[in-house]
Amino acid sequence: MFFYYLDLACRSIKKTPFLSVLMVLAISIGIGITITTLNIYKMASVNPAGERSDKLFAVQLWSQGEDSWDEFNPQITYQDSFNLRRGDIPVRQTPMFRTGGAIQTDNPDLAPILEGVRVTDSDFFSLFSVPFLYGQAWDKSVDQQAKYEVVINADLNQQLFGGENSVGRTLYINRKPYKVVGVVDHWSPKPKYYDVNNGAFNDSEQVFVPFSLTPIEEYQSWGNNQGWKHEDTRTVAAKIVSEQHWLQYWVELKDQHDVELYTAWVRSYIEQQQAPGRFNSPNADVQIMDVADWLIENQVVAEDNKVLVGLSALFLVVCLVNMLGLLLAKFLKRAPEVGVRRAIGASRAQIFSQHMVEVGLIGFCGGIIGLLWAWGALSLLAAKFELEQALTSLDMSMWLVAPTIAISAALVAGIYPAWRVCSTNPSIYLKSQ
Amino acid sequence: MLSMKNINKVFKTDLVETHALRDFNLEVKEGEFVAVTGPSGSGKTTFLNIAGLLEGFTNGDYFLDGVNISNLSDNKSAAIRNEKIGFIFQGFNLIPDLNLAENVEVPLRYRGFSRSERDKRVKQALEQVGLGARMKHLPAQLSGGQQQRVAIARALAGEPRFLLADEPTGNLDSMMARQVMELLEDINKAGTTIIMVTHDPELARRAQRNIQIVDGQVCDFTMYQGGQPQLVSDNVQAVS
Ligand SMILES: Nc1ncnc2c1ncn2[C@@H]1O[C@H](COP(=O)(O)OP(=O)(O)OP(=O)(O)O)[C@@H](O)[C@H]1O
Ligand SMILES: [Mg+2]
Repeated sequence: MFFYYLDLACRSIKKTPFLSVLMVLAISIGIGITITTLNIYKMASVNPAGERSDKLFAVQLWSQGEDSWDEFNPQITYQDSFNLRRGDIPVRQTPMFRTGGAIQTDNPDLAPILEGVRVTDSDFFSLFSVPFLYGQAWDKSVDQQAKYEVVINADLNQQLFGGENSVGRTLYINRKPYKVVGVVDHWSPKPKYYDVNNGAFNDSEQVFVPFSLTPIEEYQSWGNNQGWKHEDTRTVAAKIVSEQHWLQYWVELKDQHDVELYTAWVRSYIEQQQAPGRFNSPNADVQIMDVADWLIENQVVAEDNKVLVGLSALFLVVCLVNMLGLLLAKFLKRAPEVGVRRAIGASRAQIFSQHMVEVGLIGFCGGIIGLLWAWGALSLLAAKFELEQALTSLDMSMWLVAPTIAISAALVAGIYPAWRVCSTNPSIYLKSQ
Repeated sequence: MLSMKNINKVFKTDLVETHALRDFNLEVKEGEFVAVTGPSGSGKTTFLNIAGLLEGFTNGDYFLDGVNISNLSDNKSAAIRNEKIGFIFQGFNLIPDLNLAENVEVPLRYRGFSRSERDKRVKQALEQVGLGARMKHLPAQLSGGQQQRVAIARALAGEPRFLLADEPTGNLDSMMARQVMELLEDINKAGTTIIMVTHDPELARRAQRNIQIVDGQVCDFTMYQGGQPQLVSDNVQAVS
């Protein structure tokens, strides 16, 4: 019976092409706008850590003095990073920050490339499940005994080495030679949750170097630096011993028990630090947050996005009300035919279904075209307003979401017209023509 | 086969109440060919619609094939219409977008017949009315008489026991009307009970039994050779 209804629906749509196009257009525009905002919302709120989301924790310390910041800062100081990573607790943890420099190779034809560089420990790669194309992270011993080793991302590997296995080759960062030990396989989580303070939707760095090189190489911070008291931090050497917050710190904890152990361990560290006069605020403490909470805390998913989705859904409703009117007119014009069908044996339910199938088909067409609108709108946003690509690429799930919303929305709009046409008394339309 | 006892039908509009049928009594036996006549507005169409389960009634008892029709669900009455009843209307009422074969197929679709069964019955029904060669034509491409024959084929395809025709020849010239009448007579001979409303006394005379509806009530006549009506019903005294 469904295919019979579908056949009738196709004929009916073809019979009134103008009206049908109008209805498909109405619903497709509503869907287009809804999907556009929904896509941005979804891409902004996707949890990039996947199933490791509740095992990875960002560490924050209330190291500021009294009468300064009244909340935990998202970053921490170099001193604390340095001390925590040296701690004797058996967990995987890593400090990190963003720097950058001119990248070159032995190939004299290659112009130097300015790239962001992430300074971190070897645990970074296992913590964030970074996939390797060639080689691996530098050895754990390098985290203590600094060596000039480097991990690069596949894109840069393509640029520098033509995409071949470059493990063992040399590249230069600010003219210092580093040995390539690993090539990352196009890794760039969105949002860039491990460092949301420096562009939550930026691409990941193309270069990773050992944290242990920081005091030797005096890497400049290329990210946000937050200070709560006046200090001279013009040189890296001064900054390293300062109270400035400019590093991110992550730890992997298996379960709630680990969380408690770790928290207690950091608190005891804070107590030690209070002896020389640091952490002197009564609020001094540690706060750890898993990825999902971290993204919310840092408002990576802005409230505005929700409002936008709501508004566009409202717009969709307006489109549907229009469609309802058009459907009503169309269906009631068909009442004589429905009278005949009823007289020769169609039940109300069958007439209702027939019309709902027609509405569903219109909805489906609207959904597909709406998806094209959304795709166009997102491309336009990307081109004209330079919105991050991560936000404007159409999520695969939308291919399912758009037709589903379109069909259900159309069905809702179609209920009243279909009910009207199936509940009118057939005998009225049979008397004469 | 059909039995109506004290059926009343009142149409209520904002101000007026119309008693379309009042204490309407009628028995129709299996295999009868009943012609219904009566003045305009007397309730003939109303009676036919009630008989065909297209419309409810205000009160009274209606049994069709022994089934009490009073409180049937929509699904049930649709199924009865589909299986037991065939309709023929004055205005033909073919669906203009469907070709002849598809028009005839409509009731079979709702009956849930398989494709091969549908094809067989459509072909058979259209051949029976002499239009087997024009299956793919659209209704608009046919004459009125041909359209009415398609409507008859549509009513026949489901092999109903019971055919209801509301002025089936009303829009046809006398030549075509006679053809349609002959077709109906053949169908009746094959065993189908027919109730036909008509304004044409000549056609009415050809039916086995004539009833007249006046002011929503039945005057029953049986025709006999001389053509003079004999009053059978007891609820109408005088009809001029
Ligand atoms: N849907 C309706 N609403 C209100 N009144 C109605 C309705 N249908 C019929 N009537 C009234 O019921 C009465 C009987 O109508 P019906 O159509 O049965 O007459 P008829 O005998 O078929 O007439 P005709 O020979 O002109 O077709 C008329 O007075 C008509 O106005
Ligand atoms: Mg009538």
